[in-house]
Amino acid sequence: MTHSLHRRGSRESLEKDFVVLSCSAKGFNDDVFGEKGKEFLRICLRHNPVNFGDMKTGNFLYIDPEEIIARVSNTTILEVTYDDKQDVVELIRELKEADLGVSVVISGLHDVVEDIVRQAGLKRIHTREFSLGSHGRLELLPEYEVLEFTTMCGHAMVASGLVKHLIAECKLGRRSLRDAAVVMGRCCSCGNFNVNRAQDLLARNLGLWVADWPVY
Amino acid sequence: MQVDAEKCVGCGRCIPFCPVDARSLGRLPGNGRVTLIIDSDRCVECGVCLRSGICPTDAMFQETLEMPRLIRAILSDPLIEFKATGVPGRGTEEIKTNEITGRIRFGYAGVGIEMGRPGVSTSWEDVQKVTRAVAKLGVGFCEGNPVTHFMADRTTGDLMPDVVKEKSLSAIIEFDVPLEKLAEVLRVLREIAPQLDTVYTLEVSCKVHPDGSLPVLPIIEQAGYTVLPNSKNNLGMGRPRFREPGEEDVA
Repeated sequence: MTHSLHRRGSRESLEKDFVVLSCSAKGFNDDVFGEKGKEFLRICLRHNPVNFGDMKTGNFLYIDPEEIIARVSNTTILEVTYDDKQDVVELIRELKEADLGVSVVISGLHDVVEDIVRQAGLKRIHTREFSLGSHGRLELLPEYEVLEFTTMCGHAMVASGLVKHLIAECKLGRRSLRDAAVVMGRCCSCGNFNVNRAQDLLARNLGLWVADWPVY
Repeated sequence: MQVDAEKCVGCGRCIPFCPVDARSLGRLPGNGRVTLIIDSDRCVECGVCLRSGICPTDAMFQETLEMPRLIRAILSDPLIEFKATGVPGRGTEEIKTNEITGRIRFGYAGVGIEMGRPGVSTSWEDVQKVTRAVAKLGVGFCEGNPVTHFMADRTTGDLMPDVVKEKSLSAIIEFDVPLEKLAEVLRVLREIAPQLDTVYTLEVSCKVHPDGSLPVLPIIEQAGYTVLPNSKNNLGMGRPRFREPGEEDVA
């Protein structure tokens, strides 16, 4: 599964968007991952994440961080989202030092991730996965500006209708941009929805939208 | 997902949360009261409406699902664990643990075809169109992947008959191929795209060579595809490490 891979947006916006994840390897370290995963999260939390979660538990926008850590099991996926490159550099440096022996993956712009790896003291990337975009009936997709929000949850838990609804609520003054971003982020239980980026996108796009659909 | 019409007050607050637009408001026969209507054919059982906690009267509830409808939840609700892998989600570990498992090796590419993604949903008839098309190329579908699990015949790509009638928010078809076969796979996928009633999002992975080169890139370019500027990157920090002859650690 590649739910942190296919995020859409401008380079300027994606430069502030990183998902760092760790998971167990079935049959190799899934007997010891739980404790290592907890330590992975503790380290991640020292480097200013904007969101984080455990795929089996949920994310810290609606669950206490300590509870998420306490419930990390041997077979799960942990995801932590950042909006600052230097925070990720320091994080990878500390993870290298801690040498937990668990797999660590970063999703982000190719060249920016390469620079993070270099600055953190790693030789190079081990394996890379590329997105070749979407194909088929593309007319079924929502507007690109909506995809910039919805693709921050690869499981598609942030509905395009919800994004439009929240844009309308912000325009009507019923919600703050932050509150709207958090409502979207709560839907993405894994914790890889970048709420700070969503807030920036709302601020950028709000003036472009006309609310021509029912607002309940 | 079901709604208790007695509890529902017809406020419609849950409607925007549905990723597949399976909700609308209608009137109850008899008293004409406004209530939520869930289109059970469109609903993919992702559960996001329930988890959102938006309903002021707790009128939504998740009924117990049986196969084949259960497949909707397995492939649409990220919190549901697919028992064959023991990991929640819709696919395998793919590159996430490649430095340990050695699944994708030098000379090979990993391919993932994410049917219905992003956010469109897919019928499993469309999933089968693609599995059949790539099966003709002799690809080996990945173990531990739900789509592979629900195949009746992996050599033909045929899915189990009762599953074909289902749908889900997405479904990932995964396989690894030798690099010399990648161009053919990409050609077949391009050819089948117009026959689908949905979208798919495509991913290709490979190990990074010691000189930093990525052998899939020229193949992708020659096949007429464009890679997006962002990627997913395994840093090689896991243990025990899988090493090919002469391979050095990167972390």
